[in-house]
This record gives sequence, C-alpha cells and structure tokens, in this order.
Amino acid sequence: MKPKLIIGIVAIVGFTSLLMYNFGESISTYTTFEGAGERSTAHIPGTWDEDKGAEFSLETKRFTFYMKDEDGVSKKVVYSKPKPNNFEQADQLVVIGEMRGDTFYANEMLMKCPSKYNDADPGQFTDAVQG
Amino acid sequence: MLGILGKLLLSASFITSIGAMVFYYISANKDQERTLRIGNWFFTAKTTFLVIASGILIYLIFQHQFQYYYVFNYTSLDLTPRYLFSAFYGGQEGSFMLWILFSAFFGFGLMKWTRAPYKAPVLFFLTLTQVFLLSMLLGWDIFGLKLGASPFRTIAEEMPNAPFLQANPDFVPNDGSGLNDLLKSPWMMIHPPVLFIGFAMMTIPYCFAMAALWKQQYHKWIGPALPWTLSANVALLTAIFLGGYWAYVTLSFGGYWAWDPVENASLVPWLIGTAGIHTMIIQRKSAIAQKSSILFAILAYVAVVYETFLTRSGILGSSSVHSFVDLGLYNQLLAFMLVVTLVGLGLFFWRYKELPSPEKESSILSREFMTVTGAMMLLILGLVIILGTSSPIIGRLFVENPTPPEISFYNTWSMPIAMIMALLTVVGQYLFWNKHDGESLASALINPLIATSVVTIISVIMGDVRNLYYMVYLFCGFFAVIGNAWIMIKLTLKNPKVIGGSLTHVGFGLLLVGILASSAYNEHLVDQKTSNYNAAVERGEVLDEQGFKVTQKEEMLLLNLNEPILIDNRYMVTYEGYELDNTVRRGQQTYKILFEPIDGGKPFYMNPEVYPMLTSSTQENIQWSVDPDVRTGLMSDIYLYVGGSSYVEQQNEFVRENAEMMQNVASQDTMATENDSLNVQSFKMNPGQSVDVGNFTIRFVNYVQTDSTELPPNTTIGVRAEVELIHPASNRVITLDPLFAVYSQDGQSYIYSPPAFASEFDLEFQFTEINPQENSIELTVTGLEEEYEPEWVLVVADEKPFISVVWTGTFILMIGFSLSIFRHWGREKQKNSD
Repeated sequence: MKPKLIIGIVAIVGFTSLLMYNFGESISTYTTFEGAGERSTAHIPGTWDEDKGAEFSLETKRFTFYMKDEDGVSKKVVYSKPKPNNFEQADQLVVIGEMRGDTFYANEMLMKCPSKYNDADPGQFTDAVQG
Repeated sequence: MLGILGKLLLSASFITSIGAMVFYYISANKDQERTLRIGNWFFTAKTTFLVIASGILIYLIFQHQFQYYYVFNYTSLDLTPRYLFSAFYGGQEGSFMLWILFSAFFGFGLMKWTRAPYKAPVLFFLTLTQVFLLSMLLGWDIFGLKLGASPFRTIAEEMPNAPFLQANPDFVPNDGSGLNDLLKSPWMMIHPPVLFIGFAMMTIPYCFAMAALWKQQYHKWIGPALPWTLSANVALLTAIFLGGYWAYVTLSFGGYWAWDPVENASLVPWLIGTAGIHTMIIQRKSAIAQKSSILFAILAYVAVVYETFLTRSGILGSSSVHSFVDLGLYNQLLAFMLVVTLVGLGLFFWRYKELPSPEKESSILSREFMTVTGAMMLLILGLVIILGTSSPIIGRLFVENPTPPEISFYNTWSMPIAMIMALLTVVGQYLFWNKHDGESLASALINPLIATSVVTIISVIMGDVRNLYYMVYLFCGFFAVIGNAWIMIKLTLKNPKVIGGSLTHVGFGLLLVGILASSAYNEHLVDQKTSNYNAAVERGEVLDEQGFKVTQKEEMLLLNLNEPILIDNRYMVTYEGYELDNTVRRGQQTYKILFEPIDGGKPFYMNPEVYPMLTSSTQENIQWSVDPDVRTGLMSDIYLYVGGSSYVEQQNEFVRENAEMMQNVASQDTMATENDSLNVQSFKMNPGQSVDVGNFTIRFVNYVQTDSTELPPNTTIGVRAEVELIHPASNRVITLDPLFAVYSQDGQSYIYSPPAFASEFDLEFQFTEINPQENSIELTVTGLEEEYEPEWVLVVADEKPFISVVWTGTFILMIGFSLSIFRHWGREKQKNSD
C-alpha cells in the first residue's frame, strides 16, 4: 500500500471517530427528574402541573411552575426568562437544565404544541358556525 | 366541483409526467429526436395541468371556499390579498406545488438551452424527480394504500368520522382557522418562493451529472451545469439570508441562525453545491476532478431530498421550531430519497472504473490541490451538519430516545473547518492565477500577512478580545478578506470580468468575522444593579435559598412607566407607554421605549410589539406573541423585545376572571366584598402626570394658589392641586382642587386636607402629602372600584456588534457568485450560438 493512502485512511478514521465521539457526547437522552442526576443539561419531557399554577415574579424575574415528568413526579421548575409564548397551549414541555435539590433550573424550554393539523377538533368548527 | 377538477388535473399532471419520463428514457437510450419531441409534448401538457390546478387552488383560497381543508386550515376571511396568495404555499401540499412549478419552468429552460447528448437524459431525470413530487399531491386511495395528500381534499374527506359531519355532510365552516400569525409577514411573500427556486435549480446539476454518467461523456456537461449550479447557489443563499433576516427581526430567539434542522436543510445543499462549483471550475480549467464534480452534483441534490425527508416526514418531532407535520407521506418521502440516492450513487459507482483519473498527482502547491481541498472542506462541513441534524436517527447508536445535539456541537466543528477554509481561499486564489513554488508564494503573501496581522491586532485591542482561539479565528477571517481583496484589486486592473471568485472569498471572510463578533460578543443591556449581580453570578458568589450556586444571569429589564433607568452606563431608558392598534393585527400593542444616550447622542425610540395569536388563542387563554424591534447600526444593532407588560397581565387576568365567572356565578359575591378593601387608594404624582385606574384617568395638572380666607388661622403652608378626573367612556372631565394646608395650634403642626367631591361618580379626593424635594404630591382617592396597577413593561435588550458585517459578507457572496454566473453563462451562450 502506498504511504499516502495509509495516511489518508488514518486521517479519515481519526476524524470520523473524533466526530462521532463528540456527537455522542453532545446528545443526551430524554430523562426524568430522578434520572437527571448531576447532569447540567438534562432534557426532561413532561407536562405542566396546572393545579399548582405558574407564576412570573417581577422581583426575581423568574418564571416558576411545576412540571410532571413521565413518571408522574411533580417538581418545581425555575426558568430565568419570561414565560414562553405558547406555554399554556403546549401539550408537552421539554425543560433543559439541571436539578438542584428539589428544584429544576431550566436554561432552555421547548414547547411541543399540538400542530394545527392534528388539532382540527370539532370544537373549532362549531365555533365557526356560531361566529 | 372545482376541487374535483383540481384533483383530476393533478392526477393528469402525474400521468403525463410519467409519459414524458418514458419518452425521454427511450429518446436518451436510442438518441432519437422524435421521441424527445413527444416527451416535450407530454412535459408541456404536465406543466399546463399543474399551472391550471395551482390557479384553481389560488382561486379557491381567494373565494374562501372553506369546505376545502387546505383553504380552511391556512386562510381566513380577514386575510389581505397578499397573505391569501402566500397561503397558497403556506401549507405543505401547496409548497410541494410551488416547488414543482419552478422545477417545470426550469425544464423549459433546459429544453431550450441543453445540447445533445445530455438533453434527453437531463430531462428524464428532471421529470423523474417531478413524478415523485407530484405523487405527494395525488390523494389517491388504491385499495387502502394512500398515495399523497391532495390540496383539494374537503373537510369531509379529511375527517370522515367527525360526528358533526355525519350529522350534516354538506357542512361548510363560516370562517377558516387562518394563517399562522408568525407567517403574516412580508418575508412570507418572498422567502419560500426563493427557497423553492433554489431547491428546483439544485436538481439540475444532479440531472447533468446523471446524464454524464449515462452517456459516458464526463467532461462537457460542466459547461452548461456550472451556470445552473451557480444560480441554484445564489437562490439558496438568498433564501438562507431572507430566512435568517426574517427570524432575526420577527422572532424572539435573538439571532439570525439557530442551527435548526430546517435552516440546516437549506445550508447543507448550499455547502455541497458550492463544493461542486469549485470542482467544476477546476475541471473546466485543468481537466481533472471529474469524479468529484459528478459526486458533488449528486450529493447536493441528495442533501436537498434528505433534508426534505427529515423536515417533512415528522421524524424530527419536537426538535425543530418549524412544525411541518406528517401528512402520511413518510413512505413516499422515504422512497423518493432512496431512489434519488441509490440511482445517483449506484450509477456513479457502476461507472467508477471508467471515470477518468488524473495521470499524475497534483502537487500540494497547485490550484488543483487547493481547490479540491477547499471543496472537501465544504463537503466535510456539510456532513458534520447532516450528522447533527440527523440526531433523531443516528443518535440511536448512542442512546435511546436521543435529543438534538447541543448548539456547541455545530460551533465546535464548524469553526476550525471554517478557519482552514479561510486560509485555503487565499492560498488557493494566489495559486489559481499564478504558478508559485513555496518561496515565491511566501514572498507574494508577505504583504497581505502583514496587513492581516495589523488589522487583527487592532481589532483584538479595540474589541477587547481575550480568547486566544477567537484571536486565531479573527486572523483567519481577516486573512481571507485582505488576501482575496489583494488579488481582486490586481485582477480588476487586468480583467475585471474574472473577479467573481476572489470577490466571493472576500465576502466569505467578512461573514466569518461578522459571525464571531455578533454571536460571541452579544451583550445584554442591563442596569448597573443587574450587571453587578450578573458579575457576582459569574464569580459564583450568588446562592439561592437552598444554598445552591445560582448560574442563571438576569437578562431582563423592568421598566416602570416614565421612570428612566440608566442602562449599561450609556443610555437613559424610559418606558413611555403603548399604543393599541388594530389595523395590522387585532389587539397589537406597540410599546414606546425611549433611549437617550448620556454622552449627548441623538435620542431614539424602540418600538417592540406584542400581539395575541388569534389562530391559537381561546376564550379562556390568550396566546401572546412578540415582535422585536431592531435598531440597525453600522457598528452594532440594538435588539429589543417585550417579555411581559402590565397590559398583557391585565388582559390575561380579565380572560381568566371571565372564564371563572362563567363557571361559577356564586363566586361573584366574594369578589365584591374583596373589592371593598380597595376603596381607599393613594397615588404619588408629579405635575402633569396621570394614572389610569379602572374607568378613570386622574391627572395632576399643577399647583394652584389658594385664597388665604379659606385657610385656617396660623397656616404655614397652603396650596391647592388642580386635579382632572377624566372619564373617557362619557367623555367627561371634572376639575377639582383639593387643598393641602399645614397650620399650627398650641405649638403643634396639623395637616388640613379636606376632601373634594366628584359627586357624579361618588369619589372623594384628598391632597394628603407634599414632597417638595421630588416635586410630587400624594392624592388619596376614596370610592374607586378598581385597584390602580402601575404600568410596567419587561424587556430583553441585546446589543449585537457587527451584524452589519454579516449581511455585508452575505451580499458580497451573492454579488461574487452572480458575477461568475454571467461569465460562465456568457461562454455557454457563445457555444450555443456556434
């Protein structure tokens, strides 16, 4: 084999494995409050625990609410940004951040909203008739 | 009726497409002119049917025919004509139609300008892709196997099991559910069409590459393919720019790029297409790189189709902000992708052995080596981004249920690759125009290197750059700008027609510098207290109630009405109220926020907007959306959006109360008693200031002199306040002048503030306090039913340096590529006329 070819193959293999390693590190799996552990960017899907309310405090400038994860465990979530636009609408939330004691500090929040397509419930149509 | 016609036309379009494909195949196989003409007839018929079908869909939208699901789902009566028109491609089915329309129009261009032997096979592959795209629109049901989703399906077909439809099959809604509010933007008119022009054009290099493989003519195809690829490239770049700018000025994620899968879907084909352009240019010059030209042309379109599959099949789920939903096209999209990829790569490897190989390796210091390496870098960057975007699929190798990669994954990998590319552009350009050995190259590069070093050092000092990696990155970026500009100037003196390449590379360098400046040095504009707090958070000194370190910085500003705050030691920022405007969007508030530079610069207003999303709000719940305001500057932009306001809170409260009232009328009693405690309220006011409470506006006009006869004896202070009580509902203004006096009796001071009555409204006003230092008074009002709530607004303000450089870089890229189109197209036309 030509030395150039060997160098080439080594370079490609090295690059690919480094890339895949880093890729594997930068993705994580969706987990629960309990599974979040020490991770600083745990992705936790869940739903808003409506009974316990949600509040934006003007003093601390934090948005606080309770979220039920997929095990049904409800924990306080603190988000240091204004309440996201479609918070109430979302049928699933994903909070990204870390667990500290009994509170989850979210740096990012994703709202999974019922898409308009799937949302075509008959209620819409009856409204349209009345309107 | 028209809907059925529309469906038939789409089916006819699909069938004639297959006809065209068959005849093009025969023609390509046998080199027949006659079958080619028949193919063209079929192609023309196909396009005609499609154009009429699109016309019908647009007509149905404009006629508000809400029995059609597409019309119902994407439009409503209140849409203005231009948004009605853009609703045509606002949904997935319509956007497929637009894509095929463009593709068909370019087909006529190919018919006119392509020469044998490529003509028939090129048209065959173009039609093949159109057959697949048209199949997405069929809405056929073959023994339970659903093929495509027709834009002409009715609500009854969409929801056959809905009870209200079973009761009344001819049901037609009175109004549609409307276009998503975020799409009601002028950018919606232009961004999607340009994007689909880009996608449709990116098909053409694929078709030429396949034709080259089929006809075993591996060289001549790049002549006609190059201008098409360049045009596709410019269209995609324009679309990416428009999308980025749209996101920047109307969405609140705070930037022009977020590595969202849909953004990546247009970036990756652009990167690979650009790689193809590089190898095609070098193939034209030096007759090498035939393999990579063909491979890149194939991969660019495969990337288009793959990213289309990712974004439209629903496989990305929640990882994208763009909510394309699965229309049940998963299998069809998968088939499309597999056919394009397998046929493309299959034919490539089938012919691989006979593809020409260079006789000798090119030396490292040659334009061939540099250009091909640059193209490889573009490809690698494209592959890295594809890997990240594919995390829902490829991530399963590592974990179950994978999340999208962190943004840092994209940044970590794209930065070094971009840096290598930046260096390659300069060296490559020097070698492109002149032969060099190591020594002569070094001496030629000395001047640009010195200039780059100077510029880098200056900007590092001026910009207070402390990160070593960023310094190196800046050096690379500036080197690309200066080195390429150097060559460009030399070329301009000799032959200005050929500067396209070097100009493009200047734009690329500027883009790199601008991206770093605007994203790494983005600064939140906050007041001194918050900035001290944030500094403490950074040092890890802030602990929360449970003793954990706080890591989240505060980015928001609370502005009370007419209370200026000093921001970033540079601006006095004052919230001056909002205006309600129903003309653009119902219920939209435009906030007035005054910025006064304390160094004496010109004051300016920022006007962020908040509006209720009518399509997704309900009677119990208003969903608000924000529209940021951006003040564009040469050195930096100020970007500001509203995170909440007293008005929004009041509206939410109002809706909530309404909803509760509907549920429980009895609770009203308890609410009434609660209100009693709010009976007495005090307001602190400056002259000229007014407050809104419930149905009233109370304005403190000014102090007035008082007649000494009305005052008690031994009065030391005696002043009246002129107060206007305004009741906007009845247009009444009542002027009152409550008295404030301090008198002394038996050595003690007493305050005398008799109430002034507004008997029409059963209100009492007392002037209860005066603060000479602040020039303010306290008014106590008894009998108001509602509580006064201060007016406030919560804003997030960012300063983003050198966004203008990002746009400038992008424009220069566009201009550079366009210059190359003219050059290569001019030569092609010459050949055509010969």
